[in-house]
Amino acid sequence: MRLGIAGTLLYLRLTTATGWLTSRLRRLKQPKYLVGAVIGIAYIYFFFIARVSQSPAGRPAAAAMPKELLSIVPEIAAASLLLLIALNWIVPRGRAGLAFSEAEIAFLFPAPIARRTLIHYRLLSTLGALSLTALFMTLVSSRWGLPSATAWMRGVGWWVVIGTLSLHFTATSFVVTRLLDRGVSSIARSIAGLGVLALAIGVPLVWTLTALPAPTQQDLAGVPAVARYVEAALQSGPLPWLLPLPKLTVAPLLAADARAFLPALVPALLVLAAHYVWVLFSAVSFEEASIAKAEKRAVRLAAFRGGSLRTISAKKLRDPFRLRDTGRPETAFLWKNLLAMGRLFSPRSGLVAAAIVAGGCLWLSSAELRGGQALVATVATVVLVIVLLFGPQLARHDLRSDLKNADILKTYPIGGAQLVFGEMLAPIAVLSAIAWIALLAVALAAAAQNVPVLVRIAGPLAIGVCTPFFCALQLVIHNGLALVFPAWVQTVANPGEHGFDVLGQRLVFLSGQILLLALGLLPALIAALLTFFVTRWIAGPLAAGVLAWLVVLTVLGAEIWVGVRWLGERFTRFDLSSELRP
Amino acid sequence: MIEVTGLSKVFGEFTAVRDLSFAVRPGEVLGLVGPNGAGKTTTLRAIAGIIPPTTGQVRLAGHDLFTEPLQAKRALAFFTDEPRLFDYLTVRQHLNFVARLYAVADHETIARPLLEELEIADRLDSLPAELSRGMKQKLAIACGLLHAPQVLMFDEPLTGLDPLGIRRMKDSILKRARAGAAIILSSHLLHLLEEVCSHVLILKRGEKIAHGTLAEVRARFGNGEANANLEDVFIRATGGTER
Repeated sequence: MRLGIAGTLLYLRLTTATGWLTSRLRRLKQPKYLVGAVIGIAYIYFFFIARVSQSPAGRPAAAAMPKELLSIVPEIAAASLLLLIALNWIVPRGRAGLAFSEAEIAFLFPAPIARRTLIHYRLLSTLGALSLTALFMTLVSSRWGLPSATAWMRGVGWWVVIGTLSLHFTATSFVVTRLLDRGVSSIARSIAGLGVLALAIGVPLVWTLTALPAPTQQDLAGVPAVARYVEAALQSGPLPWLLPLPKLTVAPLLAADARAFLPALVPALLVLAAHYVWVLFSAVSFEEASIAKAEKRAVRLAAFRGGSLRTISAKKLRDPFRLRDTGRPETAFLWKNLLAMGRLFSPRSGLVAAAIVAGGCLWLSSAELRGGQALVATVATVVLVIVLLFGPQLARHDLRSDLKNADILKTYPIGGAQLVFGEMLAPIAVLSAIAWIALLAVALAAAAQNVPVLVRIAGPLAIGVCTPFFCALQLVIHNGLALVFPAWVQTVANPGEHGFDVLGQRLVFLSGQILLLALGLLPALIAALLTFFVTRWIAGPLAAGVLAWLVVLTVLGAEIWVGVRWLGERFTRFDLSSELRP
Repeated sequence: MIEVTGLSKVFGEFTAVRDLSFAVRPGEVLGLVGPNGAGKTTTLRAIAGIIPPTTGQVRLAGHDLFTEPLQAKRALAFFTDEPRLFDYLTVRQHLNFVARLYAVADHETIARPLLEELEIADRLDSLPAELSRGMKQKLAIACGLLHAPQVLMFDEPLTGLDPLGIRRMKDSILKRARAGAAIILSSHLLHLLEEVCSHVLILKRGEKIAHGTLAEVRARFGNGEANANLEDVFIRATGGTER
């Protein structure tokens, strides 16, 4: 690498890093980022750094890990690494591409820079950037009870492991590209790869199993016994010959003290350097794939910024239902957003899913498979809870994903409240449908548990009717936050945004959402309890329960109505150009 | 008919548009020109009801945009410089969606000649991601014209169009004007405005510095040259600077 070019590329990297840091610091002038940064740093400090600074003996997690388990951690870590590497050779992938940004491609590819210099630049940049990942892993793994004596040793250890893996993956993609260039198709490679995998995993597995006696009850009696058995397994068959190289890589991460760390670091760095040289000398054409990769990343980023978690495929989507030319405009938004959610979310798919669930539950019932019914009921309940608590957060095909089209939406001859409600209809419909199918499964599977018919039907029915209201209330909150704090939402919802300030903003947002939901549910709960206790003396508990349920629906409905109207007003006055002005 | 009275838009301490008044009658095409940052797009966005003006009144097709927004918007089509389309809707589905919003009965019959005129009839099942920029622009225009609007506003409508597309676009604008639509056209392509517009409004730093028919503006800033083109007029009117 010529020094002049090297200096220029170093300048680019340093100025990019400085610019990134400066922009991050500069935006702390805005209260929203400052508050976010303070909360984010406090969270990181109290949950991670305070623990990292403790000695291993002082760490509760370290104390919790049995000694027998600690002794086989290196073997398990090396075996995991071996498995990752084996899988990387098999998983289908396209041509090799290095992760250049679009700007780097525009400026560096046509510049008079040697290809090898570009590879150096990219690899060193990647290894540099991986130090942040290593830092993150150091903080997270502080609770894992790893034997590393100090945080910096663990950080360097993580960097070596992640860096070696990254280089290995790049080298693999280069080898695959070379094979493709020689006419070996992706399918042929996968078949060959599967054969190699079968040999690489199957042969050692069979070898190990034949060499190792089957576990007895004594082998499975407690963690120490299991640890001893695993240790014996990892020392059986061919594994002692396969694991030493991966063990070299994980050794610095697991070194107990500085005396063990330094001798472990040298061989690990040599393995890493060997990978670096391997990539460097794998002279394949990476330019086209790098350009494609950069474009793909830019599209993905644009999709994220637009509020969508998936990028657009060229696959055409069938209309979820026939949209007539006249009728309520809200239906047009339901239709549009169902389309955007994908072909899985159509009324027909919902009916098919319900039929499958009902058929399956009835079959389990007729076959008297009580264990199966209990399992179905448990899984359906978990699904229901996830849908009710996290569904509105995840189903973002409403105003949150359409804010980028606010310019056009505002020219439509439709009232603000109608538009907001129309936008919310698709997530409400989809989440309710999933919840209803889960409730159907619970109701049918509960038959096996001898639950009274009244409870088995009335319970799911009551929850089922409440579900759209509960989802709608949460969606009002999420869309309200998006309209009141559009700049915050742009940052918080964008997976590409990182940093203490963004972490803090996410925590503030999550807390705000939970608080608002609690405040929204409180009036309904109080009104329902009052109704129940007052009327049960007059009408009995059953009628009182029904009345209380109706009160819940009424209060939630009123809150949603007020919320949607307020959001409509807000959207009418919404001025994206002002809101997003720095 | 577009009537704008005393329109102002202030962002914090920055005044983007100041006390702007003008009218565009049916059949007229008003060219909105000005240097970068003059407030053209802000003006268009405020007149289209996208951003609320700080002060002022806007009437579209006889309806006040703030007291009768739905009636006013039913008469309007606004075309942004960057076509804003829904990622997951095909060309056909875009038209279906817009037809429902504007209650356009039997929209397929209306859409067919429109798509043929814009030369995208063969791309009915394409998603926006599969269309070129020019094609996207045409789709946005087809969606805007589907409900036969009386008021049309174009913000840099020719960006991304090929020469033939530009020619067709010009013809299309003139055809709508002849049919009685009131049109505002914002563009930096002064020769285009010269060919299409009956009137011109020059903005600078958010203020109106010239407004009238092309002949009137030319007479005022043409330095007595009968054949002064709009470019010369523009440079003289704005003093040749942005600020």
